[in-house]
Amino acid sequence: MDLSQASALAFYILSTLFANSFVIIFVITVVLAALDFWVVKNVSGRILVGLRWWNEINEQGESIWRFECLDQESLARINQKDSMLFWWTLYLNAVAWGIFGIFSMVRLEVDYLLVVAVCFSLAIANIIGFTKCRKDARNKIQAFASRTIASRFSSTLQSAFSLV
Amino acid sequence: MSNSHSDTILLHPSSQSDIDEIENLIHASVQSCPTTVLPARPSSPPRASIPISSSPFIQSNIPPPPPLSSSTVRSAPAVPPPPPPVSNSGSLAATGFGSSPNTLTEPVLDTVKRDLSRIVSNLKLVVFPNPFREDPGKALRDWDLWGPFFFIVFLGLTLSWSASAKKSEVFAVAFALLAAGAVILTLNVLLLGGHIIFFQSLSLLGYCLFPLDVGALICMMEGNVILKMIVVCVTLAWSSWAAYPFMSTAVNPSRKALALYPVFLMYVSVGFLIIAID
Repeated sequence: MDLSQASALAFYILSTLFANSFVIIFVITVVLAALDFWVVKNVSGRILVGLRWWNEINEQGESIWRFECLDQESLARINQKDSMLFWWTLYLNAVAWGIFGIFSMVRLEVDYLLVVAVCFSLAIANIIGFTKCRKDARNKIQAFASRTIASRFSSTLQSAFSLV
Repeated sequence: MSNSHSDTILLHPSSQSDIDEIENLIHASVQSCPTTVLPARPSSPPRASIPISSSPFIQSNIPPPPPLSSSTVRSAPAVPPPPPPVSNSGSLAATGFGSSPNTLTEPVLDTVKRDLSRIVSNLKLVVFPNPFREDPGKALRDWDLWGPFFFIVFLGLTLSWSASAKKSEVFAVAFALLAAGAVILTLNVLLLGGHIIFFQSLSLLGYCLFPLDVGALICMMEGNVILKMIVVCVTLAWSSWAAYPFMSTAVNPSRKALALYPVFLMYVSVGFLIIAID
């Protein structure tokens, strides 16, 4: 996962070593960034933090964001280091593209600004999606826990009254 | 924390901590709920089938817990995926995740196949004549942006190849024009009071570029100007015809022309780009 993100960044930085033409640089960087977006969203997100998000349009034509997360025990079993690695590389990726964007703005290279804008928006999209997904997962767990507390409370009351 | 996954439920106050009690209740409710709606799935393949290097991430064989009932769409019963080695990042052939129908733990190849088939079906839905097509306003519900991405890049590449000079500017102009044009057209529809989702319309406009892609490819190989004009006219008409149903059902009938004219204009300008490249 960070390999794919690093490859997009590295290709962008070292692009002059590889190709003379801007077109090839653009296409390969954007293709790498898009592949990385897909890998992070579908593979790394599932494996490292057990989260997945996508968007659907229902019968009425409204767009719904769907989130999936592993159940609580699997979530508890997720390696803490994996999760930190995932989130940190996600943020660092966006920050790196942001810095490149500032550089190309300063140098007034509009062509490269286009590349950076595309990669930056892909990074931001992933961040937003996964943050929403994590919040949703926490809400679900809390709701489930409070439901079980409530049901346990009511069953305790029932057993107490039955004993009386 | 080590929990006893026993079946006995302790309802009277015990010396267990609260979290332990909640976890016991979760197991109890899990085991007492009726059999889930998931079809019988084969057990996950043995862990040894995952290509392993000396990786520190492989856990011991933990038996999968029974899945929660999948009553709501948003809950996700899951077999915990065995974490593959991180060195596997590039390969898309990891198939050792178990074959639960839940998308969270499906094998990666399945995800790839699903996305690819979605692109193909969207393309067929949008671009090709289909008398059995359901209400076009509701079609393209499974929007995705991969198809439009490929088509825009392909069109830019084709235009750039055909150009004899200033190749990179041609590419950048084509890409920016198509991307910004799609965004502006979508905003146009939304501002006219239309009912369309932003990404759905972006995806639609991207898929409708497919005929122009074909036209640009043909024009790249042909040199005759008259032939190029004919090809471009035909593909332009095809693109506009493909975009028409979706755009027109999205807005008020009185504002149909206002929504459709800019789309047509954009495709005409792309057509001119194709003809004018030498």
